Amino acid sequence: MDATAEPETHAAANDAPETPSAVKATGLGLHFDDRRILQQIDLDVPPGQAVALMGANGAGKSTLLQVLATLIHPSQGRLELFGETIGPRSGGIRRRIGIIAHQSILYRDLSIRENLEFFGKLYDVVAAAERTREMLEMVGLAPRADDAVKTLSRGMTQRVSIARALMHDPDLLLADEPFNGLDAASTKALEALLRRIGQAGKAVIMANHDIAQSLALADRAVVLRQGRVVVDRPAGEIAVEDVLCEMSAR
Amino acid sequence: MPAKARRRFGLYWVVVAAAFAATITMLFVYTPTAFDETLGPLPIQKMFYVHLPSAINTFLACLVAFIGGIGYLWHRRLVWDDLSAAAAKVAALMCTVVLVTGMIWAKKAWGMWWVWTPRMTFSLLLWLLYVVYLVIRPSIESQQRRAMVCAVYAVAAFLDVPLVYLSVRLMPAPYHPVSVSLDPSMRWTLAAWFVPMTLLTIGLIKADFIRKRANRKDESELPPETPWTAPS
Amino acid sequence: MIRTVRKILLLTGKDLRIEARTRQTLGLVVMLGILIIVVLGLGLGAEQKIPGFIATAILWVAYLFGGVLCFEKTMAVERHDGALAGLLAAPIDRGIIFAGKLLSNLILMLALAAVVTPVAIVLFNFDLSAAPWGFVAVTALSMFGFASVGTLFAGAVSSSRLQGGLLAILVFPICLPLVITSTQILIGLFRDGEALGAQGLGILVAFDAVYLIVSWLVFERILEP
Repeated sequence: MDATAEPETHAAANDAPETPSAVKATGLGLHFDDRRILQQIDLDVPPGQAVALMGANGAGKSTLLQVLATLIHPSQGRLELFGETIGPRSGGIRRRIGIIAHQSILYRDLSIRENLEFFGKLYDVVAAAERTREMLEMVGLAPRADDAVKTLSRGMTQRVSIARALMHDPDLLLADEPFNGLDAASTKALEALLRRIGQAGKAVIMANHDIAQSLALADRAVVLRQGRVVVDRPAGEIAVEDVLCEMSAR
Repeated sequence: MPAKARRRFGLYWVVVAAAFAATITMLFVYTPTAFDETLGPLPIQKMFYVHLPSAINTFLACLVAFIGGIGYLWHRRLVWDDLSAAAAKVAALMCTVVLVTGMIWAKKAWGMWWVWTPRMTFSLLLWLLYVVYLVIRPSIESQQRRAMVCAVYAVAAFLDVPLVYLSVRLMPAPYHPVSVSLDPSMRWTLAAWFVPMTLLTIGLIKADFIRKRANRKDESELPPETPWTAPS
Repeated sequence: MIRTVRKILLLTGKDLRIEARTRQTLGLVVMLGILIIVVLGLGLGAEQKIPGFIATAILWVAYLFGGVLCFEKTMAVERHDGALAGLLAAPIDRGIIFAGKLLSNLILMLALAAVVTPVAIVLFNFDLSAAPWGFVAVTALSMFGFASVGTLFAGAVSSSRLQGGLLAILVFPICLPLVITSTQILIGLFRDGEALGAQGLGILVAFDAVYLIVSWLVFERILEP
């Protein structure tokens, strides 16, 4: 596993970063039987960049995130994460990826602490107990650490999911609707947290149906329509109306 | 199917019918019936020429179902599932022929419809394996999920066949079958019978495969299941 | 190697902890096993002493049905709230997920056997005294192959409403060679008074190896869409 950047990437552009891109997708395509879910996706995300992934339902946002999380093998194209080309034996790269999905990805019958410790150990986090305590403080759930996840409200569960995704301090965070079911206070807290993650030099790719919020949070806006990238621009240069228009265009 | 291909496939069935006509004629005109303990009483002996080729063709169809299963697990194209399903159906059908001819034979030779000899037990278990494949198909709604479960099953079932064969040999055998000694002319007839039976098997698999391909286009498209969206 | 084992134990430990918390599976499975024993035992006549080779057959039925429920339950834990996606996104091999589930299933099945067998012996005078260790060895080996196949199919079948019947009907026919082989060995042990031979055990071990390897290989391919 060679994590260093290849020399030609340096030569390609003079402002190329020292470290390899967190995500570099080239001509990525995915089809289930004859249905094309993703087509010709080119995406290059440097470390520290926050990308807002937008699109109508069924445009392929979740699926793209799953491909980037190495949960689904793309049918076409090439995916590099941190300079490593993803193949059947590149499971080790998952240690640098954190995911937040629609579902909580937690065991409802276990306590918050048990969940976090389990996933920490799964990701080879040294001193998982220590890290768990840290994360519990961060999401403000330390007093309820020993309660089963099923007793928590939707918003609290979501906060645990976020803590779970960040347990192993990933360099790339893939989030699918992370604001789902959060109240105003938790939303604010999560927004601040995502900004902090970006400032710490980690890449974030986030699918979110709230366009205004996405544009405010992200550095870059990517709009998917029917499995294709139709917009890829700095987030500051595009208005909410334009995104809506692109999302629904035929 | 385009008209030309359909015509060609029609012609194929004419050839199959001709082959059957020829081998049936051969069976009754050319082949002698000799008394033999293993082959059973005289007229029933004739069934042996259907029995053995259908047994071999059962394996052939199982093999095709296995290949379809591997193909689906590897490529994730529903066309492999259609092939596997068509072959499994024909495997069950051929195995039914084996079972029925075997039972009639047992009735005439030993006076009982069913005897738990290793061979008969083996064909029964093989039949069960593939009939189960057919009954589970309609009970899974999602195309993708159905194809997956059936592919796993087709692979496991095919690899299970030798284990079934080995295990039934551990059972006590009430009758000990001796190896059949065949007259040369009988051997020729037996060889000839493989032709129509094999053509029939291939034709049936192909016909069912074509039908399944055509129906697949009509089926409503459920959204594909992915790890994040799998139903809870 | 040690890392792999530690990960497998981590997964199994998590399954067992959930089971200890909810007590959903084991209670259900044990009661099902006892019910099967009672129904079949009463069917044969409660008064008479049930000879060894019939007793083993009844126990087998109880283990098989209980086992299928175990496979289903341990996999259902992962289907809830997308937990499976969490395992798939973790830096571990699919093979480790398989091994962890297999181990959980085996432990649950052994627990089932440990409760149901004494109950059967007490209630219906099941006489296993002719070859108790032979019985244990043959059952344990058969369970291993059965659990391999069961773990594979539990992973393949989604948690649709039909899963209950579906899993049993998928797993039973595939496991017929195991059932036949172990039954023949047990009949030899209990009815004919033979000693447990290396040949019988050898066949069982070989079957287990086939089931384990095939299940492991196929499992790698089934968790992705």
